[in-house]
Parts: sequence; structure tokens; C-alpha cells
Amino acid sequence: MEKTQQTQREDILSLANNLRWDLGMDFHDTIIESIYEDASKIARKTARLESDKPAYSLDLKIDRWVTSRWLGFPIMFLLLALVFWITVSGANYPSGLLAKLLIDMGHPALKSLAAAAGLPWWLDGLLIDGAYLSMAWVIAVMLPPMAIFFPLFTLLEDLGYLPRVAFNMDNLFRKAGAHGKQALTLSMGFGCNAAGVIAARVIDSPRERLIAIITNNFSLCNGRWPTQILIATIFIGGAVPAHWAGLVSAGAVVGIAVLGILFSLVVSWGLSRTVLKGEASAFSLELPPYRPPRILQTLYTSLIDRTIFVLWRAVVFAVPAGMVIWLVANVHIGELSLAEHFIRITNPFTLIFGLNGVILLAYVIAIPANEIVIPTILMLTVLSAGMAGVGEGAGVMFELDSVADTENILRGGGWTLLTAINLMLFSLLHNPCSTTIYTIYKETNSAKWTLVATFLPIVLGLVVCFFTTQLWLLLVN
Amino acid sequence: MNSTHPGASLLIGVAILAVLLWALWPKRGLLALLNRARMNTRRALLEDALKFLFDCEYKGVSCGLNSIAGNLNISADKAAHLLNRLRAMGLIRMEEQEFFLTDTGRPYALRIVRVHRIWERYLADETGMGPMEWHGEADLQEHNMSAEAADELAARMGNPVFDPHGDPIPSARGELPAHRGRALSTLREGDIAQILHIEDEPHTIYEQLTALGLYPGMQVYVMDITEGKVSFAANGEECVLTPLFASSVTVELLPERAPLPQKYELLSSLKLGEKAEVVGISPNCRGQQRRRLMDLGVVPGTIISAELRSASNDPVAYRIMGATIAIRKDQASLIFINKKEALPNEQTSGL
Repeated sequence: MEKTQQTQREDILSLANNLRWDLGMDFHDTIIESIYEDASKIARKTARLESDKPAYSLDLKIDRWVTSRWLGFPIMFLLLALVFWITVSGANYPSGLLAKLLIDMGHPALKSLAAAAGLPWWLDGLLIDGAYLSMAWVIAVMLPPMAIFFPLFTLLEDLGYLPRVAFNMDNLFRKAGAHGKQALTLSMGFGCNAAGVIAARVIDSPRERLIAIITNNFSLCNGRWPTQILIATIFIGGAVPAHWAGLVSAGAVVGIAVLGILFSLVVSWGLSRTVLKGEASAFSLELPPYRPPRILQTLYTSLIDRTIFVLWRAVVFAVPAGMVIWLVANVHIGELSLAEHFIRITNPFTLIFGLNGVILLAYVIAIPANEIVIPTILMLTVLSAGMAGVGEGAGVMFELDSVADTENILRGGGWTLLTAINLMLFSLLHNPCSTTIYTIYKETNSAKWTLVATFLPIVLGLVVCFFTTQLWLLLVN
Repeated sequence: MNSTHPGASLLIGVAILAVLLWALWPKRGLLALLNRARMNTRRALLEDALKFLFDCEYKGVSCGLNSIAGNLNISADKAAHLLNRLRAMGLIRMEEQEFFLTDTGRPYALRIVRVHRIWERYLADETGMGPMEWHGEADLQEHNMSAEAADELAARMGNPVFDPHGDPIPSARGELPAHRGRALSTLREGDIAQILHIEDEPHTIYEQLTALGLYPGMQVYVMDITEGKVSFAANGEECVLTPLFASSVTVELLPERAPLPQKYELLSSLKLGEKAEVVGISPNCRGQQRRRLMDLGVVPGTIISAELRSASNDPVAYRIMGATIAIRKDQASLIFINKKEALPNEQTSGL
């Protein structure tokens, strides 16, 4: 009995299947279309809409301005420049305050507390010089700019202006195989790459979203600007006559940022034509009506969802990394510490790329945040060059108030103009920080794309540094 | 500071880059070649031969040694060897220089055809691959995918019954409808027909047919047919093909009364401030992109108006059902509209 039922069922199913061949291939679409068609006919007949005309015509008027051929781009650049200017100038003071509080005062206070409690030197070093200091550093340099940048950006978004930026920029990004909204994630990346990666959620087409995530690292983030500015001031500004120094070094930093945008477009283009070719793509972009921004809500969401969220992830990674930084400088094998061994071994190899072992080690162990790269480099340079009287001791990161003193340390470590240029390039083109890597993994849920996003920039960076170095040696020497 | 001469290291660097590029280059690189060689096993050849024999049987064409060798792109010697093996396995038989599938060979061939067409459907609907790449990719996958995995994939897509070229997909039980339609080249002047199928091999012919914008389901009207060329109207555009190319298109004659295929205007031709009624979306717009447009309200009957042009010229923002949606030019040219029937009815514009 059951068996005949089973075969009957199969017969019916196969009959149904055979009938589907006669229905033709556009049967599915025809049904869906007719449902939509009926629905809209019924709606047209029965529903009367309160006219939204006046509000909409105002929107249209604003839109005519912000998307106009001549004014569209200038308005966009002005607004974005304003956001960056407010961020940079506004973050200086609170950052200094936090650094004073957490590093200049907090660190010695904790040290003396530990001494009073009789902690062994290694525990005190590991916890306070390593973990605490690295965490304090990340908070002091990361928190203020993000707390200013993200609310401003979210305000523009809430106002409805950002979709218009995507609308204006789409042509350029379309040519690179990407989505116009990548203009937004790219600008967001200038604040923080991890936030830029999260922002890629607004791109609803799978392929374009992956492209935006993988290339976000080419936006020079907040944590890298200070490195760029410091190195450009010392070495590039120092290489030209004094009255040109400011302009030339600023130009060099902006040049690096623009180079980042170029790389972002070129890599998007390459990815969309090679490894990501098979991913599905569906473009659409809604231009929502303008509305007055809800300031309090914006402040709350951007501080909690973006700033605190990203900062928390950074701190979680900074603590263990701080311990590692302290350990490599303090664990000795034979005469030398681990760090010195590493630097000696990698020096010949890194010289091919115009870098040095210190820089390489700094980028490896300062992976939690780009902000602690310079303090780590300074500490390692002092350690490996055996300079006396500077710094705070092995494994203790530090920064100097005076640019001239920093210059002395770096030049003492064998740095040249070429090293500086390569460091600037490598700072742009290297792996994302661990926070961003983790965020990429969370967002894509794929180890493969996380690995691509991590190693692609390093390979590019090494290639670019190699050719810069060898061409420089060929032409200048 | 560097022991080697920079010129020498530059050369070495360029060489390493070149080797890397060569190894990783998509399609022609070393990795891709190795991958293809791994896929192109003897089993793959056997299966391809079975597939070709099935195709001949389905279309009612005879199939000899040379046509098999030509289709598989191997020498006649190798083809003869291959066919001997197939005969020894009891999958094919030979009668008067022609080859036929046996009753054990046919289900085997059908299974390969099924996986191939399901893959083409999948690539067309769920991925961003272009029409020119479906066939080659499916050719690689058909030998590696089990029947169960193919069933699962088909079920996920709602058990499609046609591949994107218009070929029916054999059911899991191996059923296939009888061959329908005739070649476009056999029609007469004045005939109205619907395209059923566009042959995807050889590649160059398919490329040109795709470039003309032909797709299964499209209506054509034959304007003139001579020994040297076939000219017909498809979607209001005049197309001219040689009879050889036209024979790659299978059509079905429509009854005389069928509405004359009219020329649709494209959404991309709508000027700012103009209004039109949506007539439909081209079948060349597939998968996610199609669903997205329908979700936004791009369905027959919707009134759509062009509102804004981006500062960089493309995309254009359209007012659809009370929302402003930017659509790129290449997508807007896949949406058919009718400017005349768009009534200046205020009530509809607000919808």
C-alpha cells in the first residue's frame, strides 16, 4: 500500500515537472509581474495619497544643487574637508589631556604602586609597561578623533546628504567595478578602517560589498596620519629649504592619502575582474528625502555603536600585544633580547625594501593599532642601537615631545630620507590592524576574504617599497 | 648599504613579479592551466563524448567519427580510441559508421547534461558571471559534481526547468521533453516567431548573437530571407545574420494573430522631467538584479519619471512609487517603457 502511494506520488511529481516544460521559461516572471501589476492597479484605484508635493519639491531643489555638474563636487569636497578639519583640530587638546592623564601621570603612579606592593620586576613590567601602557596609548590617541569624526559623519548621513555623495561618485566607482556607496566607506575609512568595514553594510550587492571591505584599508586611517605627519616633517620637510618645509611635508602626506585612494580604485578594478568576478552583483541606490538630523540620537548611536565598539575591540587586542612588545624586548637568548635577534636577522632582508628590521618588527608586534607603531619604533631603535639616556627602558614604549629629539633617535638608528619615504609608503600599504582584520572576519564570515584583505596590502606594500628603493638607488646614487 | 647593484635587483624584482603574474593570471596563468589539466581527465573526455552523442540524438542529427573528433577538439585517432573504449563499456553502439547511445549510455549522458544545465542556470541567476563564461565554467563543473549535489543545487533554485540558453533541463529521473522548434534560417518572410533556444557553441557565433541582444523568449519578425542573409526585427531593431549564424537560433512559429512585436523604448532614453509607463524588464537582466528592480516597483504599469542626473552624468535618479531611486545607465537600458501611455494623471504620480 505504502509502496504504491510512493510511486503514485512520484508519478504526480514527474507529471507536474513535465508540464512545466510546456509553460515556457518566463512563466515565473510573468506570474510575479502580474501579481505586482494587479496590486498596483488596485492601489491606484482605491488608495488616495496625501500629496507629498511641497516637501518633495524642496528636496528636488536641494538635490539639483548638490548633484549639479559644476557645484556637486566642490560642495562635496568642502563638506568632507570641513569634517576632517574639525576632527583634526578638535582632537588635539583632548588627546593631549588623555595622554597626560593615562601615560604621563597614570603610568608612574601605577609603577610606584607596584613597587610599594613588592611586585616582581617581570610581573610589573609585563602588566604595567606592557599591557597597561599599550592600552593607555590606544585610548589616548584613538578615542578623541573618533568621538568627533563619527558623530559628524553620522550627522551628514542622517541628514540624507551621504547618499547624494554616492550618487555623484558612482560613475567613477562603476568604472572600477565597485558601488558608488564605496565613496562613503572610503571616507569613513579615513576615520577608522574597522568602522569603514562595518559601514560597508550599506552596500547591498554582495560583490561590491566585498570590494569595499577589502579595499578599505587603503584609506589612510586616523591612526596613521600622525605617523605620516611626523616622518614627513622630519625627513621630507628637512630635505628642502626651511621656508618650503611646511608646504612640502604637508603635500607629501596628502600625496600619500591620494595614493591610497588611487590604490583603492585600482585594486577594486582588479578584484572585480579577477577573483570577485563570480560574485553576484545588484546595483541600486535610494536617495532618501532630506530630514532634520536627530542630534541626540545621532550622538548616542555614533558614540556607542561606532566609537566605543571600535575602541573596545582595539583595547582587547592592545592588551596582549602590549605584553608581547614588553616580552620581546626583555626576554633574552644569550646576550641579546628576542627583539634584537629578530632585528639582526631581518635587517639584510628588509634593506632590499628600503626598510629596516626595527620597522618590520614594529609592524608585526604593533598590529593591534597603528597608533602605537611610532612609540614601538622609538623604543626598539633605542634598544637595538644601544643608545644611553633616552627612552624609558627595554619594552617601554615612549614618544618625545620634541620633534628634533625624535629625529636624533631615528637618524641614530640609521634612517635616511629613503627609509622615511618607504616607511610612509609601508604605513599606507600594509596589513590592516588586528581590530580591522577581526571586523573583516565578522562582516564577511569568511577566512578566505579575511586573508586576502590582510595579505594583499602587504604584498603591494613590499612591491612598491622594493621598486621605490631600487629605483632610488639607481637614480640618486 | 646594498651589496647587489640596484639595476640587478630591479631586474630580479621585475622577473619575480612577471613569474608571479604569469602563475596567477586568471584563465591563462599557470595555476589556471594546471587546474584545467587536472579537470580534463580521461573521464571528462568520455563524458563529453557521451554528452555530444546525446545532443545529436536529441536533435535527430547523425553523428560520425569526424564530428565527434571536431566537437571534442581531439585528433581522429584519439577519437577512435575513445569510441572503442565507450563501446567496450557498453555505453554506445555503432551502425554503419554512425554512433548511437545504448540504453545504459543514455542515462549516463542525461546525468551529465543535467548537471551542466543546472550549473549554467546557477551561474546566470546567482553569480555575476557573464553569458560568455557560463558554458566553459559548466563544462568544468559537470564532471565534478555528484547527481545528489546537483539535485540539491536545483532544489535551492526552485527546480528550474530551462537553462539560460533555453534548453530544457532533464529531470532527476532522466526525462526530457521532445525537441521543439526549428532553425531561424528555415523561416519565411513575414513569419512571426519566438526564440526558444540559442546555441552556445561555437563560442564566436554565440558571442555575436549575445551582442545583438537576442535571448530566449524574444519575439522576432522575419523581414527578408535570401540565400546570403536573414534579416529580421527583434524588439524593434533590425538584425541581419548569415544563414549559418541564424541556424544557431531555434525558434517556434507563432500563430498569425499574435500581436506584432513592437519596438519598446528603453528607460535610459527617458529625459529629465519626462514620464513613462514600465512595460517590462528584459530577460537579460537576471537573478538578484531583476528581483531588486521588481522589489523597488519596476513592474508593468508603474509610472516612472526621470528626476536627477548625477554630477558625473551616470546614474540617473528616477521617481518610482514615491521613492527616488538611482539606476545606472546599463541597467536602465534593460527596462522597457512606453512613453505614450503614461497618462499625466496626478493621482498616479504620487503613488
